[in-house]
This record gives sequence, C-alpha cells and structure tokens, in this order.
Amino acid sequence: MPVPEHHEFFIDPNRCIGCQACVQACAECDTHKGHPMIHLEYIERSESTQTVPVICMHCDSPTCAEVCPADAIKKTPDGVVQSARKPRCIACNNCVYACPFGVPKMQTDFDLMMKCNMCYDRTSVGKKPMCATVCPSEALFFGTREEVEARRTRSRPVNEFKFGRQTITTKVNMMVPKASTHEHVDVTSQMQGEGRRLRLNVLSDSLYEPGSA
Amino acid sequence: MRKEIVKATTAGVLATLLLGALVLIGSRRLQNFDAALVAYTFATVFAVFGVVYRYAMWIQRPPTAVYFRRGWQVFLNPKWLGRNTIELSKRLVSGFALNAFIWRRGKARWGAHWLIMWGCLIAAAITFPLVFGWIHFEAPLNEFDKYTIFVFGFPTITLPVDSFLAFMIFHGLIWSSFLVIAGVMLAFRRRMRDHGAAALQQFGEDILPLLLLFAISITGLAIWASYKFMGGYAFTFLSVTHAATVIFTLLWLPFGKFFHIFQRPAQLGVAFYKDVGESMPPAKCARCGEGYAPQMQVDDLIEVQRRLGYTYEMESESGADHYQRICPRCRRSMLALAQGSLWYQAREHESVV
Amino acid sequence: MANQPQTELKIIEHYGPRLSNMAGPALDPGVEPDKLVKTHCCFCGQQCGIQLKVKDDRVIGFEPWEDFPFNKGMLCPKGVKRYLQGGHPDRLLNALGRDPQAPGGFAPAPYEDSIKRTAEAIDRIQREHGADAFAVLTGASLTTEKAYLMGKFARVCLRTANIDYNGRLCMVSAAAGNKKAFGIDRAANPWSDIPKAEVVWVSGANIAECAPITTSYIWQARENGAKIIMVDPRITPAARTCDLFLPVKPGRDIALFNGVLNRMIARDWLDHEFIERWTVGFDKVAEHVSQWSIERTAEVTGIAPKAIEKAAELWGTARTSFLMHARGIEHHSHGVQNVLGAINMVLASGRIGREGCGYATITGQGNGQGGREHGQKCDQLPGARDIDNPEHREYIAGVWDVRPEEIPGKGVDAYEIIRKIHKGEIKGLLSICFNPMVSLPDNNFVREALEKLDFYVAIDFFLNETARHADVVLPGSLHEEDEGVVAQIEGRVIKINKAVDCPGDATQDWRIIQDIAAALGRTHGMTFAGPREMFEELRIASKGGVADYSGMTWEKIERQYGVFWPCPSEDEHGNPVDHKGTLRLFEPGSWNPIARGAGPFYFPDGKARFNIAPYTPPMEEVDEEYPIILTTGRVVSQFLSGTQTRRIGPLVRQYPEPRIEMHPRLAERLGIKEGDWATAESRRGSCTLRAQVVETIRPDTVFIPYHWAGRKSANQLTVSAQDPISKIPEYKVCAVNVRKADRPPDDAASDAALHNLDQIATQPDGSTSAVFQRS
Repeated sequence: MPVPEHHEFFIDPNRCIGCQACVQACAECDTHKGHPMIHLEYIERSESTQTVPVICMHCDSPTCAEVCPADAIKKTPDGVVQSARKPRCIACNNCVYACPFGVPKMQTDFDLMMKCNMCYDRTSVGKKPMCATVCPSEALFFGTREEVEARRTRSRPVNEFKFGRQTITTKVNMMVPKASTHEHVDVTSQMQGEGRRLRLNVLSDSLYEPGSA
Repeated sequence: MRKEIVKATTAGVLATLLLGALVLIGSRRLQNFDAALVAYTFATVFAVFGVVYRYAMWIQRPPTAVYFRRGWQVFLNPKWLGRNTIELSKRLVSGFALNAFIWRRGKARWGAHWLIMWGCLIAAAITFPLVFGWIHFEAPLNEFDKYTIFVFGFPTITLPVDSFLAFMIFHGLIWSSFLVIAGVMLAFRRRMRDHGAAALQQFGEDILPLLLLFAISITGLAIWASYKFMGGYAFTFLSVTHAATVIFTLLWLPFGKFFHIFQRPAQLGVAFYKDVGESMPPAKCARCGEGYAPQMQVDDLIEVQRRLGYTYEMESESGADHYQRICPRCRRSMLALAQGSLWYQAREHESVV
Repeated sequence: MANQPQTELKIIEHYGPRLSNMAGPALDPGVEPDKLVKTHCCFCGQQCGIQLKVKDDRVIGFEPWEDFPFNKGMLCPKGVKRYLQGGHPDRLLNALGRDPQAPGGFAPAPYEDSIKRTAEAIDRIQREHGADAFAVLTGASLTTEKAYLMGKFARVCLRTANIDYNGRLCMVSAAAGNKKAFGIDRAANPWSDIPKAEVVWVSGANIAECAPITTSYIWQARENGAKIIMVDPRITPAARTCDLFLPVKPGRDIALFNGVLNRMIARDWLDHEFIERWTVGFDKVAEHVSQWSIERTAEVTGIAPKAIEKAAELWGTARTSFLMHARGIEHHSHGVQNVLGAINMVLASGRIGREGCGYATITGQGNGQGGREHGQKCDQLPGARDIDNPEHREYIAGVWDVRPEEIPGKGVDAYEIIRKIHKGEIKGLLSICFNPMVSLPDNNFVREALEKLDFYVAIDFFLNETARHADVVLPGSLHEEDEGVVAQIEGRVIKINKAVDCPGDATQDWRIIQDIAAALGRTHGMTFAGPREMFEELRIASKGGVADYSGMTWEKIERQYGVFWPCPSEDEHGNPVDHKGTLRLFEPGSWNPIARGAGPFYFPDGKARFNIAPYTPPMEEVDEEYPIILTTGRVVSQFLSGTQTRRIGPLVRQYPEPRIEMHPRLAERLGIKEGDWATAESRRGSCTLRAQVVETIRPDTVFIPYHWAGRKSANQLTVSAQDPISKIPEYKVCAVNVRKADRPPDDAASDAALHNLDQIATQPDGSTSAVFQRS
C-alpha cells in the first residue's frame, strides 16, 4: 500500500534537543530492525549543544538513485525512495558519498546500503514513522499540512534546497520562519557556518563580569 | 535511435548469432538436437538477446560505465593483478559459492538464497547443454548397460547405467528441484512472517519469481513422477505446463529480479575499485578537513554527476569547487546550520536582549 | 559486617551490570506479539503512555500509545529501550544470601528460608535495641499502593518511626515550599496550560534531558508567540534556542528571584487585586526584596544586569505565564527558600489558578507525588496527612484498626537514617527501590555506614550497588510485572498495568513485604490479596485529606486517561459525587477541605502565603584549596542511580561514561584538553574521569552526571549538607579542585573492555552514537 498523500513529513532541526529517541526508535522499525537509519549529529559539541536529526528527504529526483551503478535504488510511486534492493546493491558507496543530505548508510557487514525509508512498514498502513512518533521536541513531525499550519504559527514548510548551483526538491518539508523571504534553504551557504551563531553567545553575553556593569 | 540503443541492439544480435552458431556446432549441425525441445531453444535465444541488450544498456549508464571501465582498469593493472587474482578466487568462494554476505544479513534469508541459487545453477548446467544439443548420451556398441556422455559431439566418460554416479547425474534435475523447492519454501516463510518484507515486497519483483521457480520445479518433478510411477499419466499436460513455465521464466529473465544474476558479478569489480581506493590517501573534506572517501571515487562521482546533468558546482570562494568535496557529516551539519541561520536572521528583529 | 563480600569485578562478573541488547524476538521483524499492554514508562515523573509488546510472557518491544493525552506517543530514548530490562541476564531469579565463598559473593537461597532469616533478624534487632533500631528505606518509583503498604508495614508491622524514601533526594524542597505557600504540594496546572502562556520561565531544569516530552509543550508555547526564559549554569539543549538565557551561578537562584520581584515592585508590574484578595504577607516580602537591586543581584548571581532587567520585564508584563522548576533550584541547603522565592514571583504576578497561568515543579521520579503523599515519608501519613497531627493520627489509626498511640511518631530523613546507622543507633535496614551507594551524597560515608549494619535486607530485581552490602537479597518485581497507580508530573493519577509474570523465584514486592510480616507473626493489616485491595483501603485512608483519592477507581483512571488528584468522593455538603478530578488547582471559587470555601488555596482562610526567602550562600563555598564549583545532574539516556539503565546496551552506548564537563577557559587554565583524564577532588573524595571541554557551561563551574557507581560516582565528591526544612541534600553545589590526572584510573582498561567502550568509539558508521564521539 502507498503512503497516504495527505500525510507529510515536516522537520525542524531548530527544535532538536539531541535526545536520540529517534535513533533508538528507528532501530525498532520492522524494515530495518536493529539498524538505526536516522542520523543524529552534534554540529560542534565543543561550542554548542546544537544537534540535527537527518532523515531521508526523499528527493523528487534522487541523486543517490541516479549515481547508483547497479540501479538498486528505487522510488515507489508514492515518492518514497527505498533502501537499495538487496539483490542488486553492490555496496559501492556511490549513494553514500553523493546524497546531498548525507543520508544513506553502508552496512559494511553485509555489503548493503540501507537508508531511511520513512518506516515504510508503518507509513504504508497509515501509521507515523517511528522517529516522528516518539520525537519529544517535534523536530520530526509527521502529519497533515493542516495540522502543521494550525500548530506552527511562526513557520512555514519549504521543500527546496540549494547545493552550489544545484536545486533539489524533496517530498519531506523543512520548517523555516514565516518571516524569512527565502524560498529555499541554501545549504552550501554554511561552509563557514553562520548558523552557528544560533548559540546566541548567550553565555558570554549574559555572564556578569565584575566591573562590566 | 539513440546511440546506446544501437550499441545494445548490436550486442544483443551478435550474442544471439553467436549462440545460434554454437548450437549448430555443438549439436553437430542439429544431428544431436532434440526437436522436441525446440521451443525451449527459441525462448533461450530470445532471453539471450534480452539479457545482453539490457546488460549493454545498463553498463552504458554513466555511473555503471565509469565503474565498468574503472573496475577492469584496476583489476588488470599489472601492479595489482597478482593480488587481485588471489582476492578474486577468495571472493568467488565467499561471495558467490557460499553467499557469506547474505549469511550476515540473516540466516533464514541465506538458507533460502543458497538453496535456490545452487538448485538453479545445477539445473541450468544440465538443461541448457541438453536443450542445445551440446550433450547427449549414447550406449556404446553392444554394451547396453553403459552410457557414454558426448559433449559437443565428442565422447567423454562412459559409465554403467546402474552406477551411483549415473544415478546422480541422470537425476540431477530432480535434486535441483528439491533444492529450489526447499529454498522457495524458506523464502516464502520469511516473506509471510517478516513485517518489514511484507511492507516492501511487490508481486512482480518479489513474489512472481518465487512462484515461477516453484512452478518449474514442481511440474518438472511431476513429469518424472508421471513416467516413473504413474505410467505416464497426464504426461503431455505436465510437459506442456512445464515448458510454459520455463519459457515464461526465460523470456522474463531480462526484466525482473532474475536480472540480478547478471548484475551481481559487478560486485567483484567494485571490491577491487574499493581496494585500490583505500590504498591511496583519502579525499579530505573541504569543510572539516577529515578524510571521508577514496579520492578516485570522489573524482569519478563528479564526472558521473556532470554526465547525469547535475550542477553541484560551487563558487570557488566558498572553499570548494564542487559539493562532492564535502563529507556526508558536514552535509548533515550544514543542513541544520542553514535552517538555523534562517531562524537567526528572522529573530534578529525580535531579539530580546 | 556488611562490606562487599568480594571485589567489585567479581560481583559484576556474576550480577552485572552487564548489557542487554536487541536480540532474539526483540530483533526478529517476524514476531507477532501475543498482546499489547497499555501501561506507562517505568522511568521519570512524566510517566509517558506506552504499549508493551508481549510474546511468550516476555516483553519484547514497544508500540507507541498515541491516544494517551500527555505524551501522544512521544518517548525519550529510555522509554524506547525500557523493554530491554525484561529477560535480562542480570535479573535476580532467586533469593540470595551473602557468602564470600560463593561465586560473586552471594549464594542462591530458598525464598522461604530467606524470608524467615529476615524476620528473625528484624525480631532480634528490635528486641535487643528497640523498634526504631530497624529502619526502612523506600523509593518514589514504587506504585502508590506499594508506597502505602510500605508506610503501613513500617508503622503497623515493624512499629518503627524510621521509614523514609528516596523522594528525599528529589522533590522534597518543592513539596515543603508548596505547602508553605499554597498548603498543598502538587503541580498546580496540567501541562496543557504551558502552550497558552506568554512567558515560560524555567529555572534549574534540564528539560531536554530530564523531562524530554515537556519540550514539546514549551516549543508549542514558543510557536504560539511565548518568550522562553531559562535559568541554568549550563546551556542545556533546550536552552540553546530560548529567548533569554540566564547563566546563574550555582546556588544563587534565590537572589535572582528576589531581584526580579524587586524590579516588578519598582515598576509596578503587580496584580494588586490578586495580592490583596488572595494572599497574605506581601508587604514583608516586598520590604525584604528591596535590598535586591539589579546590581546586587547581578553580582551575586553572575548574570549580566541587562539580562536580569529583561527577564523581569518579560515576566512582569506578561498577561499569562508558566513558571516551572526542578532539582536545579531544589537540591540546595536552601532549596525550600529557592522554591519560595520562585512562588513569590508567581503570586506577585497573580498568574495562577487560571488557564494559561501556571506554576509547577517537574517531578523527577515515576511516582514522585503518589510516593510521598501516601505514607512512606517519615513525617507523613496517607492522604498527605501530618504524622504529628493528633486528628490525622486518629483517622489513620481507625483505618488501620490500631490505637493512635501505637502509630510511631515522626522518624528521621533518609540521610539521617544513614547517619544513625553510622552512629550505631540503627542496627538493621530493609531497602527497596533505593540505591543510596550511587544516589546519596558523600557515598564514602554511606559505605562506611552500611558496613556497620547488623543486618541488611535489600529487595530489588537486579543486584544494585547498595544491595552488594546486603546479608539477604530478595528478588522483587519489575514495573511490568505488577499493577497499581502512580501520580505523574501533572498530578494525574494513572494506572500501571501488568504485562508479564515474575520469572523464577522473583515475586511482587508487596508479596515479599507481606511474607516478611507473616514470618514475623505480625499479620495485622498485612493480608492484602493484591494491589486492588490496597487501593481500596488507600481510598478510605486518603479520604478527607489533602491528597484525597477517595473518588477514584482504577476503572475511572483508565477511562479518563488518568484522574487529577484531589478527587474526593463527596461534595462540600457531604453528598456523594462522581468527581472528575481536579485538573487545575487554585481556580477562583474552587472548594477544598482546608479552606472550605473561604478561598482557592489550601489554608483555613483560603489565601496563599508570601514567604520571605532570604539569600544564603551554599553550605560549601569555593576557596583557594577548592576553587571550582561542582554541580551534578542527569543525562537523557540514564535514569537516577542507573540500576536499570546502566544494564541496557543501546542506552549505555549513547552516553557510555560520565565526563567532567568544563569551559575551555577553565580547561586551559588547568592544562586540560578534550578527552584528557582529569581528577576532581573535594573534601570528601576524588573522582578521575575524562574531561569534556565545552563552551556551554559557566567557566567557574564543572558538571558531572551522577548515574554511575564506584570510581565513576559523582557522589563521592558531593556534600551531605541538607536543607533544614526539607532535608534535601545539596547535590547542586560543592567545592572541588580539578587537575589533570597523572595517569588513567587503574581499572580504565578493564572497564573499557567490560563496557565495550573502545568499540563504541570506533563504530563503523562514524556518525550516530556516543555524545562525545568526534568532539
């Protein structure tokens, strides 16, 4: 069965608290039991507690599938990019290195690429993916557009990402501020990491040093 | 017509002609050719065209072409050829004969695949030469209790009809059916109980191949049972059914799951590509400076992406000429930072301190 | 003599902690569970709803329970992997007797004999040294039924005054503060009020790691336009993106509250009508806080004046608000004063008892509230009744069918019980659901005390670090092996359901307690057929008290997805009612049994109390010898003393070992780099761990999470100073010095091997795993 069209994935890394409930729950999904497919990344722990959960964005034109020499990565008609087909995957790592979001994982043990498939065993029967069900911060949210519009009054979803000159559109949405005028998220703008300023320098700014008052 | 199609069609036609020639030669101008099997022969000829055509199309896809070329390059490079040959035999045994990588994916999955694979290999090794007339059996003059096996018209061994070896050889298809049936049962068991498999499997891709293998094996066994134990009961019906399943499978070979049989050896090329890549200094991420991938593969991927029409090229002042030069971890980080910076910009207007 | 019968490594070899991992049916995607049991997580105070997958009488996984309104299917990593405590190799399947010759130092013993031996020891100690010479230590993760039984067991069966519980290390400062200010001790509001607030103020609570699901409520408030203020010495994950972060110096929260209140008064950001009508004591507090100028507040708290002013303005001018706090302000020798300071800010704003206007302490343990209200706290009887109050004693004596004078008086708090053991005044101890060797401060002292016990019996499902000192260990039940109710973070009483039976000789805790009572020949009131009977008696015992459960039934609890206490069975005129429970406390016009209509608060005049909350520095100030502040706390993948979570492989791999967190400025001064071994030393002990150098902590403070035992235990360093009112220990501040270690701890290599630490550091995917990888 396909994933119902009105169920969509909305992610908001800004909400992430790094608890790794998603990682632990991901390993419980029947299509990849014991192997968490989600990435939980500490951006730079020495500077900040900022973390990001990365799931497959399910690109409209998936680079991973295009660069696969074995033709092993397939998108189902509902737009979900599936894990490599087991008989075909030759474990070459092309998808791992080429995915613009850094999603696929090589299971070196058994020569197979596996990736987030939106918990297909759950979403194809109308349930939510494991990560989005348990996520305590709702950084990972799975639901209808109406639900998101009602709950996220300050944000709006976008599904366009820029990498250098390449624009990629995805099935999964990312929440950006309503106040922002950008129609896409420019990933390569962060080579120097302007977004790190999000740690707000709060500690040094609001620490009291005698004589500074 | 596109260039690739021309190439692939040519390859397919050449392969078909080659097979035809071999059939003629091998059967001594059809002298040893069993006319009853002509339908099988034609199905095989079509299958060969289809498989070769598709294979040729496949290796012309940019990523496959690069790998195909590179794979042979690194394999045949005199510097590594010796080591590669040793590795090749090791990998043939562990990967192909034993399916070690499938064992690590799951024992039940391995059991199913290993039984089916060996069943099919044995059956193919017997059936195709028989059908093409490459092998036939003759009793030596005045020795009716013996058989001589002729290959390509040349006599090879002669063995007593009631010997154990003869029994094993003449029942080869029976044994292979048992292997395939057991494997198919295991595979079906897994597909019926595994919730993950249930969600992902598709009839054409995953169920039909098992059904076909099962049908071929069971009708083949039934033919044997019919002439052996049941005095030829329903023999014609069974022969026709068996032929139909086999012919359908042969014609379907280039399209469905069975095509992986021909793709899979590419795994060997990849392994050598990886060996060589790992023996050289890795590409360093343009953002964090950590090594993350073989340099050769990164360069090849840039070429592949260019040929596929992607434009991951970057402005050089950003620190990299191509997005491919950034490691997966930094890609994930940058995604969050990019979204964070939008929030940062938006919040500057409402900053509280 | 109750020292450890063998070396730590030998005990660990046989009794753990070893790690359980996804394997067998837990890893098989083809298993069809026999049933899904709707219950709750066994860990923190949020008590998230969860469905346990059961196959062949074993918990093999979970399925989110999205209908449960508090968490709607959300879980933290502990909740996700909680099921891995079932079928664990360390599980105690027999009673054990201390035997230095046996493998692991304990020999399996028949259950009956062990009960008999326990009863004989209790009887002997009490005959020789008096009833109070035998003490009971219990826990706030027990169901309310069990907590009720433990209180009754101590008072009616053992007749000892000395029962106390590990909630003493948890929320008692909040409890005492709440009772002083409101006359009742419960989170005043349901969490559904949080998203309706314009300002959310969080003091001393690492929400993201200790109450993760609460994050969704706070973020929802932010989506709705709220400003989030967080006060903490560390930029916790939730604080990273808050609107205003106040990096308070540990132990100085009260100065901040007083400073903010002073500013509110100066700017007239007050609800005069509310203060006038519904509170008592504002003028004295106003006078007291007038000394807290912004400058002085800044100097004491270490927060920039600008930030304090902004906080006061945000708080003062909001129309709706929610203030929450947790152990960060409560674990202090002046924890109650901190809480009172926070409450003063709330009362002055008048924003309480209405939709979107709330105040709450974030309870830490599964049954933080039910565990203390129903009689295992040394000074309380069921229904949050006062053990010193003759009327209360008489009522409970009636329920228990004993004479009031037979109920012992007030006992001493948990740490005082340890001190009395050390002094030799208490000779025998029964502990359940409590692991003081990890969780109490200054645990070298705790160990000395344990070694002096005549007889110690521990009830647990794993051999926890304290139970290693026991003479007899009785195999108790896991959360999923029994049923009963607990009161979660919001004051919502919920039902824990049984999923599987106890394995081997292990049995439900209440059976063990009643078996001991029977072996003592003191069965009076200790013959419950099960938790339901206990609950029925508890309903009567709590009737008319502040924590009135008399209108609840298990069925109503399940039907309504929980019932908020109090839930009386009668209305103000004494007529029976079908009470739905009290969603929000202190609503205008609400009735309670203390005020009886005079007002919404739980005092005879119905008014809330302002309390002067004077600033006092922590008991142990830094000095030249110990110049750095140590503060302790939790990580998201571990829970309390780690008896369960240190045995669950995926949770251990997420955060394998404690580290000393310090600011790069401090690290540079000390010559310490990321990953170096560093030694923190206090007046009581020392602890060598790897350093984690991060900019997210005050440069004058280091942090160590406390879930680990032995040489990794942060509580070797902490001070046993206690709040004079609540008796909570001062976990959040002590003075240490830190230096680069000369060499790794002796057991570093074997420990790394035991916990696969090397393997963790080199996971092939190189991305997701331990927090400090690649740091």
